[in-house]
Amino acid sequence: MTANDFNDYFPTWCPGCGDYGIWASLKEALVKLGLEADQFVIVFGIGCSGNMNDFIKCYGFHSLHGRAIPTAKGINLANHKLPIIVIGGDGDLYGEGGNHFLHACRGNFNITVIIHNNEVYGLTTGQVSPTAHKGQPSKSTPSGIIEVPVNPLSLAISQGATFVAQGFAGDIPELTRIMVEAVKHKGFSIVNVLQPCVTFNKNHSYQWYRERVYKLDSSYDKAKIEEAIGKAMETEKLATGIIYQVSKSTYDENLPQLKKEPLIGKSLKVEIKNLLEEFY
Amino acid sequence: MKKSYTFKIGGPAGFGILSTGLIFSKTVSRSGYHLFDYFEYPSLIRGGHNVTETHFAKTPVFSQEEGVDVLVSLNKETYELHKKEMKTGAVVIYDPDSFEIPKDATYKKDYILAPVPFTSLLSKIGGLKLMENNVALGAVCALFKIDPAILFSAIKEEFLNKGEKIIAKNQEAAKVGYDWINDKKIVLKSFIETMTDSSKIFKKAVLTGNEAVGLGAIAGGCKFYSAYPMTPSSAILHTLAKYAQKVGMVVRHPEDEIAAISEAVGASFAGVRSMVGTSGGGFSLMIESVSLAGMTERGIVIIIGQRPGPATGMPTWTEQGDLLFAIRSGHGEFPKIVLAPGDIAETFKLTIKALNLADIYQTPVIVLTDKFTGESHQNLSIADFDNLNIPIENGKWENDSKPEKEKINSFHRYKTMTDGISPRILPGTKGFYFQENSYEHLEDGHTSELSEERIKQVNKRNKKLATYLSSHFEAPKLYGKTEADITLIGWGSVKGPILEALLNREDEINNKKVNFLHFTHLWPLDREEMKRELGKHKRLVLIENNSTAQLAQLLEGQTGVEIKEKFLKYDGRPFYPKEITDLINKL
Repeated sequence: MTANDFNDYFPTWCPGCGDYGIWASLKEALVKLGLEADQFVIVFGIGCSGNMNDFIKCYGFHSLHGRAIPTAKGINLANHKLPIIVIGGDGDLYGEGGNHFLHACRGNFNITVIIHNNEVYGLTTGQVSPTAHKGQPSKSTPSGIIEVPVNPLSLAISQGATFVAQGFAGDIPELTRIMVEAVKHKGFSIVNVLQPCVTFNKNHSYQWYRERVYKLDSSYDKAKIEEAIGKAMETEKLATGIIYQVSKSTYDENLPQLKKEPLIGKSLKVEIKNLLEEFY
Repeated sequence: MKKSYTFKIGGPAGFGILSTGLIFSKTVSRSGYHLFDYFEYPSLIRGGHNVTETHFAKTPVFSQEEGVDVLVSLNKETYELHKKEMKTGAVVIYDPDSFEIPKDATYKKDYILAPVPFTSLLSKIGGLKLMENNVALGAVCALFKIDPAILFSAIKEEFLNKGEKIIAKNQEAAKVGYDWINDKKIVLKSFIETMTDSSKIFKKAVLTGNEAVGLGAIAGGCKFYSAYPMTPSSAILHTLAKYAQKVGMVVRHPEDEIAAISEAVGASFAGVRSMVGTSGGGFSLMIESVSLAGMTERGIVIIIGQRPGPATGMPTWTEQGDLLFAIRSGHGEFPKIVLAPGDIAETFKLTIKALNLADIYQTPVIVLTDKFTGESHQNLSIADFDNLNIPIENGKWENDSKPEKEKINSFHRYKTMTDGISPRILPGTKGFYFQENSYEHLEDGHTSELSEERIKQVNKRNKKLATYLSSHFEAPKLYGKTEADITLIGWGSVKGPILEALLNREDEINNKKVNFLHFTHLWPLDREEMKRELGKHKRLVLIENNSTAQLAQLLEGQTGVEIKEKFLKYDGRPFYPKEITDLINKL
């Protein structure tokens, strides 16, 4: 399949939306990974990003706001042979689903999570998201948001995610490269995508991001957790690339009952007579 | 009248009351008795009053009873709380080294005191204080004429992982208790059975409703169970977690109930039978995904072990307070099936049926249990299980279909069908793709807000209920004779105490002919059939473990028939058979 073969309905996003760059990168990455539309699953959250469900051919599940990650965990454990990608926004996965996010990191589930991070709730007309910079005014925070932003990268690293990366929606070749590595990685992979919302976040335009992003060079040691946390905590400049990657056993690899075949391959008929003896 | 017996032991929480009760239940089961046991405890790990009772007989037993034949009082409080329950000729066992029972005005002369000196008997054999429950069990078995070898085998299994020395010492503790009763020639006058024989052991599984849910899940092909611990349903999680590797299941304890049900929806999407378990509070958190399962047409089973609410309520007690909540749960309109077993056997059977229904109707199926049946034991034989083990029905799959063209084909996941049920394929099936969508959608799963498509999908989903009513619904079951002066009506776990009350009374209480109409399939209901059924009976009396008569509300809403006479109990305790017979006497 070519990238265009994945096209379904034409997107309804605003012209210039960062979602187009993420969509394009994802399709390119699927081609580079050699995945056909019938060979993987995408779980979509609810929001502008989640609306990608109608724009890409795949086995898709359009879940609820905040619940894409636990839904993906269930799919992963029922059929751990299927590659699984989660598409959702910053409000969805760091706000409503924040608890699920940190616990999925702990379990190192073999899932790739791509977060469209534009610091606003686009689909509900521009309220601040959990990644909004302190002081950002919006319809829900007219005097500016009081909380400091969530730092998803350091959160993921500290909670046990084994692949933590950051990309920029305005750099499709780099974002494609990161997504390919994220899906290839065995374990919980997160890709935080810096993404302008051209309609509701005028402060953080493509230009604003271009002045701040820089690519990690080959001298960077992504296996060192202290350095990774340092990179994650940078605020003036924003690193793109793989910030942290280590190899650890995945959740499904720790389940002996999944060694032979996935759950979907097991017989529905199970004899309980030998279990009953324990109850005599 | 049948002859049945009750053993009761009480003491402070943390002194092994529950495991002592279970050892006794297993001992009487192996001796050939039917049993029902019941455990009361506060929501504490240490402190507070715990009590467990085993009601047993040679004939079937359906619930606990009021009277006590042998009471073991590990503290004085137990005796004071329960002395009024003693039957004529009963025996109270206590340790005179710990406290004295004064023979004052409150002492009724029709029961016998057996001051078994646990402390000094144990010190003679070098046993520990915590073995006193086994001294008591030995004494109890002597009174009930149970071959001590049967008790010793039950003790051995209880302490199996503690090593042979500990097992032997506990058995010795039981032996000195047994011998003490025989040496003193104390006789339980209320007991008329003959001595049991350890050469003839009866093999029956002694299990709780929660364990029956677990075994039903395994037998019903459930492959994925996810739950956040919550009394009184946590034991389902424990049971399935214990067997997961052996039977090829994945059992998850995630961060919260929202994750639990989301994971189950995901596992169901990937193609396995999946189930969650919780109580009312946890179910409150799950509800958005009940609605999601309705829209995406995901079959999942939800077990709700009810306890008294609202909020944290009374965590370790029982109630039937969530019937209407379960039926109406979830935003929007979508089909849902609600079942409620009345005893341990029905719990096993309906868990399997629920898994079938979820697969067939591709929609949420709720099973309402409660603390009362969830944590009480009954005993069932292998033959019982064989009769209850209904075959697996797989629902509609189209996994054999071949793609038409070389390229990837769109699979119409939500194809309109006359029965409302669209065939499925597994995600990952070669040559196809589809999406399941929490937004309203077209037949192919794409999001749509078109008027005609919306109506088509709503009607398709709603049709499942009519299909269910004609294919899998079971009408309420009538116990007793068709003709009666009074028909008791109830659902779920009130079954036990009502059957116990009616048992061996020739369906007659105080010259009134009484029968019982029991609902296990609560939603949806067939309005016309229910109207006919309710119209058959002369005088309906509702028996329900809640304060607002939810079954009566439901039936009135569905049929227009008002049930005027109601006997409601909502103090966290189950009904006692005597409360039912007393009620009928007063009618």
